[in-house]
Amino acid sequence: MNQACAETQRPEAAEAQLLPAELSALYTAHSRAIYYLALRFLGDSHKAEDATHDVFLKALRNLNQFRGEASARTWLYRIAINHCKNMRAAWHDRHVLLSSENEFFERLPGGESPLRILETKELGGRIQKALDGLKAEYRLLLLLVSDQELSYEQAGALTGQTADAVRGKLFRARKAFADLFQKTE
Amino acid sequence: MKQENKFSTGRHQEQAAESQTAESLAAHTAAREFQSVEDLLRHDAAQTAVPPEIARRLSESIAQPAPPRRSWWRKLLG
Repeated sequence: MNQACAETQRPEAAEAQLLPAELSALYTAHSRAIYYLALRFLGDSHKAEDATHDVFLKALRNLNQFRGEASARTWLYRIAINHCKNMRAAWHDRHVLLSSENEFFERLPGGESPLRILETKELGGRIQKALDGLKAEYRLLLLLVSDQELSYEQAGALTGQTADAVRGKLFRARKAFADLFQKTE
Repeated sequence: MKQENKFSTGRHQEQAAESQTAESLAAHTAAREFQSVEDLLRHDAAQTAVPPEIARRLSESIAQPAPPRRSWWRKLLG
């Protein structure tokens, strides 16, 4: 199956039909990655929804500034990281509550079996708790490198450091995450 | 009675084998799926659905004219 075919089968592809053609392809290919980054970086599904909306709106309004030097994914990540950092800085309530997690999982597509949703909910909650316990820099690095479309060099460029620095920090980030994740059991 | 005992022993063995298989499958699945933190996060990302409201809100926002850009000094002064 080629990539284009796989993309048209995503649920986001159907929703993207509401959007203008120039944004539709971007949304289909990258909305999941951007939403996931925002969700796990911000730790709140409503704020992640707002952030994803704002990122794609900014992308559309600045499409003429995208010169194709970076990949579209990297360009969108850059907008998303800046936006999410600004959102975090503007919060008065720095302590993130996970209560919205329940509402988010209630919105999963109907095709999921209840057991599957329960598993997902539990796992998602545990991952969020572990990520919340990390330094923001470690959290962001782990989220970026878990995207297989992004190299260490690109993750480094997005966070203003070299690929070697990314590797070094990732070693500590993985260990810190694993320790925190075990404590969520 | 003896037959009943034999039957119940057989069922116990069957149940034990079933639960053992389920446990080893779960352990195997967990080991296969989450070999690294990145693997775990990839799995989580794949399970995360993008709320359809975002595309709907986007199409509504696009239909509205873009707000005028605020000058830097206005941003600074609030």
